Amino acid sequence: MSSNTELQWKGYAVHDTKLWDEFKVTDFKPKGMEDKDVDIKIEYCGICGSDIHTITGGWGDIILPLIPGHEITGHVVRVGPKVTEFKVGDRVGVGAQVGSCYDCQRCKSGAENYCLKPIHSYNSVYPDGTVSQGGYATAIRLNELFVFPIPDALSLEQASPMLCAGITAYSPLRTNGAGPGKSVGVIGIGGIGHYGLQFAKAMKCDRVVAFSHSENKKADALALGATDFVNTGAKNWVEEWTDTLDIILCTVDVSHHIPLSDIFATLKVHGRCIMLALPDDALPPIQAFSMIASGVLLGGSHIGSKAEIVEMLDLAVREGVKSYIELLPMKEVGKAVQGMKAGKVRYRYVLKVDI
Amino acid sequence: MSANTELQWKGYAVHDTKEWDQFKVVDFKPKQFEDKDVDIKIEYCGVCGSDIHTITGGWGDVHLPLITGHEITGHVVRVGPKVTEFKVGDRVGVGAQVGSCYDCKRCKGGSENYCHKAIHTYNSLYPDGTVSQGGYATAIRANEQFVFRIPDELPLEQASPMMCAGITVYSPLKTNGAGPGKSVGVIGIGGLGHFALQFAKALGSDRVVAFSHSENKKDDAFALGATDFVNTGDKNWVKDWSDTLDIILCTVDVSHHIPLSDIFATLKVHGRCIMVALPDDALPGINAFDMTTSGVLLGGSHIGSKAEVVEMLELAVKKGVKSYIQMLPMKEAGKAVQGVKSGKIRYRYVLKVDI
Repeated sequence: MSSNTELQWKGYAVHDTKLWDEFKVTDFKPKGMEDKDVDIKIEYCGICGSDIHTITGGWGDIILPLIPGHEITGHVVRVGPKVTEFKVGDRVGVGAQVGSCYDCQRCKSGAENYCLKPIHSYNSVYPDGTVSQGGYATAIRLNELFVFPIPDALSLEQASPMLCAGITAYSPLRTNGAGPGKSVGVIGIGGIGHYGLQFAKAMKCDRVVAFSHSENKKADALALGATDFVNTGAKNWVEEWTDTLDIILCTVDVSHHIPLSDIFATLKVHGRCIMLALPDDALPPIQAFSMIASGVLLGGSHIGSKAEIVEMLDLAVREGVKSYIELLPMKEVGKAVQGMKAGKVRYRYVLKVDI
Repeated sequence: MSANTELQWKGYAVHDTKEWDQFKVVDFKPKQFEDKDVDIKIEYCGVCGSDIHTITGGWGDVHLPLITGHEITGHVVRVGPKVTEFKVGDRVGVGAQVGSCYDCKRCKGGSENYCHKAIHTYNSLYPDGTVSQGGYATAIRANEQFVFRIPDELPLEQASPMMCAGITVYSPLKTNGAGPGKSVGVIGIGGLGHFALQFAKALGSDRVVAFSHSENKKDDAFALGATDFVNTGDKNWVKDWSDTLDIILCTVDVSHHIPLSDIFATLKVHGRCIMVALPDDALPGINAFDMTTSGVLLGGSHIGSKAEVVEMLELAVKKGVKSYIQMLPMKEAGKAVQGVKSGKIRYRYVLKVDI
């Protein structure tokens, strides 16, 4: 396979977590090309909350300089000799994971997103010592297992945020049985939340209840498919919504917003709240008693499997799920991460590659 | 229905939470007799961890004087005119709940153990202002919904601890699908744990793994049906047991024993840990990341429904589930509660009524 001499490897990198909104274009070396690897020329990359948590050092030390970004779309420009799913020119996407061990029971049974040796799209170390660099860049190289075909009916910029935010909401809805007969709550209307509402509706849930801490996003929530909107700043909302929900997706930091005990109170018997928000700090302490009142569960979730992503993209096309994005040239990444941190974006920035 | 002039209403009560092991026999007034009520002459009452949490004030304020005990067995001596399930002379048991609203969706849907207006067997207030008094007593009056027939094959003293400890573990095992193909972990081999091992085995689980913080209970664990025993005092136990369990019942106080993150590490993808221990303090803070690694859930559970209690007792008879009890005359309640608090009991005291 001839190497594509035009493919450059450079991206917008953070060099100091204290200056997390200052990006400099930096060359990087991708992992060594292996038989099942695919090289992708990136066109778009969405900005995920994870990028902010990472570059600010909120999630711990990072390997600098670092190029974040894991909501990536573009075209295939090279495939390794053992690649079977893709050919040059294919429209593809990459999410928050670029590698796994391929060998464990989880990898072999379609749960590669739960492999205990994952390589994440950025700030992870490959076995050969290479640090994975993310999608605020010209290109990315990775194993085909973690590359997803983008349906023709979906534009690349629309697809980008679905590769992390979208699947992060879709997978737990699927796993926990969202569908006819079920009532789903979505706490927080943002990157993940705006997909949570749409996918819950697309999956034909009876009720899709949006929870937000003010009235600001009410109109959007209803447009996104919510059957009900709850302003958690209002008194008595907990009483009114007691025992109403089967599944809740929580996308907010519960230390600062709604207490977990209030969330649990809205659940039906054996209902569950899936915590998708990954704040820097630990969750506030839980009283075992608050879970027994309705025998509820609190769960976690990590992106989704390839099969789930393919299913999600298909559903998105069929049911007209829309990404609410603001497109910016990639050089404005500093402005975008600031807007993200301040909670201003409605509901995802997507950066267009300009280098 | 004539009043049974022989039935006395008195019991061993605590008068001061600072002297929680000092019991004095006191008379008490039961709730007003209503059409669906059943009067039971108590023969045995098990001593549950809940009794200790309550009388020490660990779970908050207590209506004093208080008669605790909610693992009750005896005979029916009076039935109200609308009672349909029982007649005088029936062998029956009562657990941790004696009333509910009978009217909500949960009560009507077979989840009366999750009614928001539950009346607990002791320290609860009935609508008429009566404080419910428990089973370290001569008699109890309860709505027939919360009275359970004891199979003839099961001695009353064997059945007593199943009324709370037994059902507290049976219900989550059943709800979470314990059975063929599943691996179940039980943390803590005590009142709850010794039933959990037996019921997990009785339900046909592939693996039943007992976790204890020393070797002391190893022989018992195997006799109780464990396929494996793990001493959590050993190094590397977490690594050895990573990704092995579908369901865990945790009966220990995780602030002082195994950290939750270690427990989560043993779970398979989407496995769940049901916290049946109810310590005085909040659970230690959980990092959301601890739950994303395998997409696990942490849940609560509250006793079981009547249907589950009946099913449990049938299974206990069918599969020879044994209560490991130490019988004491009820006047030795003080010694019994000390023994429970210090963790000495193997694995339940049952008090025999002697007043």
